[in-house]
Amino acid sequence: MTSKLTYWGVIGLAATSVVAANPAYAAGTAAGASITNTATVDYQVGGVSQGQQTASNTFVVDRVVNLTVIDLDGATTTVVPGQANAVTTFRLTNNSNETLDFALAATQPVGGAGAHAGPNDNFNVAAVPIYRDTNGNNTYDAGTDTLVTYADELAADSSVVLFVVANIPATQVNGDRAVVQLRATAREGGTAGSQGAAITQTTGANTAAKDTVFADVAGVNDAARDGAHSAADDYTVQTATLAVSKSSRVISDPINGTTNPKLIPGAVVEYCIAVGNSGGAPATSVLVNDPVPAQLTFNAGSILLGGTYTGTVPSGTCDFNGTAGGSYTGTTVSGTIASIAAGASSTLVFRATVN
Amino acid sequence: MKIKAFVLFLAALAPAQAFAANNVALDNSVFVERVSTDAAGKERVLLEEPKVVVPGDKLVFVLNYRNAGSQPADKFVVTNPMPSAVRFAGAGNAGTLVSIDGGKAWGTLETLTVIQPDGTRRAAQPADVTHIRWAFQKPIPAGGTGKLMFRGVVK
Repeated sequence: MTSKLTYWGVIGLAATSVVAANPAYAAGTAAGASITNTATVDYQVGGVSQGQQTASNTFVVDRVVNLTVIDLDGATTTVVPGQANAVTTFRLTNNSNETLDFALAATQPVGGAGAHAGPNDNFNVAAVPIYRDTNGNNTYDAGTDTLVTYADELAADSSVVLFVVANIPATQVNGDRAVVQLRATAREGGTAGSQGAAITQTTGANTAAKDTVFADVAGVNDAARDGAHSAADDYTVQTATLAVSKSSRVISDPINGTTNPKLIPGAVVEYCIAVGNSGGAPATSVLVNDPVPAQLTFNAGSILLGGTYTGTVPSGTCDFNGTAGGSYTGTTVSGTIASIAAGASSTLVFRATVN
Repeated sequence: MKIKAFVLFLAALAPAQAFAANNVALDNSVFVERVSTDAAGKERVLLEEPKVVVPGDKLVFVLNYRNAGSQPADKFVVTNPMPSAVRFAGAGNAGTLVSIDGGKAWGTLETLTVIQPDGTRRAAQPADVTHIRWAFQKPIPAGGTGKLMFRGVVK
């Protein structure tokens, strides 16, 4: 045998490049399958065909356990404080050559870098239940996708989408981040509806029968060739952070008109309530209320909404413009600004006359 | 004259039939190729018995033949269908014939083409090979031995 090994070793080196150029195999030939190679010789002796000679060789394909868990969307999940059912999405792929179960575990590291560019992990969500994408649309559907602790009977070369669904504490602020790690560990398949036994790699002497070889790579919280793989995703809190400032200017007075008007009785004053959003998410339905002091009389129909503001609230200046809207009820001016984008500002402007 | 020729024919035929069952000995073995890197960074290729075999493993099939008869074996043709779970990855002998259509047509790999669904032809790839054949030009002398090999990858 030694001489044979040496002899073929030389040829092996020469032809290695041919083999290396081939693509990788995801699952491939099923574990336990026998591969039989048969060669046939036809020949003649003295010009007469002789009976065929055949020779066969059979071996059994072993079980290679390999899996990958990835963060499916490759991006953080942006959430707002108090959001329920915030979803991170993973995909588990069985690259083994056998149908297997996979035990699932979602965990939350304390601190450390985020799973994506951005802030570090600085909070945990209360619970991290895992749901299987039952209807295969890659989107979490409450009530349809099922709560699981393992992926049942995942066939060779197939994958399943898994969701970690969490509620974000209402106390979180803009820029907070929670990292979630999902780890899948291969278990014996074969029985639908129940999680199979743990799988161990065949150690020591190899057997002619089906052996088990772990071929997985290291994940975020598991090692290479341990029959498990893991990936991380994260939640990033993006909320609106609003600043408000109020400014005013004199439009006219009864004596000077609009030329250098003074704040005397009868003068018209224009007020501007500016709202700036320095957060990471748009603020919607921003309701602005301003009680008009008793010394002033509101000028009917003077409310302008959605105007512009030069600079950053409160250090910039109001442009005193906008579109007519809002309402005056009792002695309070109010108006609703539909949306203020992250980093943007908007205004409510109205006029009143000094009594 | 006719009778003499007939006797001669019988004489040639009878021994051939007698040892036809074991005139040519053929041995078929398979090894798994493992590449390991030694301390000096040099790659070493080891051929192991196929105990642990998983998809993607490189296989080396070795056919040893021997003419155990007392006469030369002529028109010596060894045919080896590729096991369905193994993809051809090259033969160790130049001029090895292959078939990509189940053994109907034969040629060296570079001369064969595959008809694609749109009617055009492309050069045959190792993955298209269904059979391998070695056709010897010269007779194998009595007692002559040799070794044939080809490579495959477990699908």
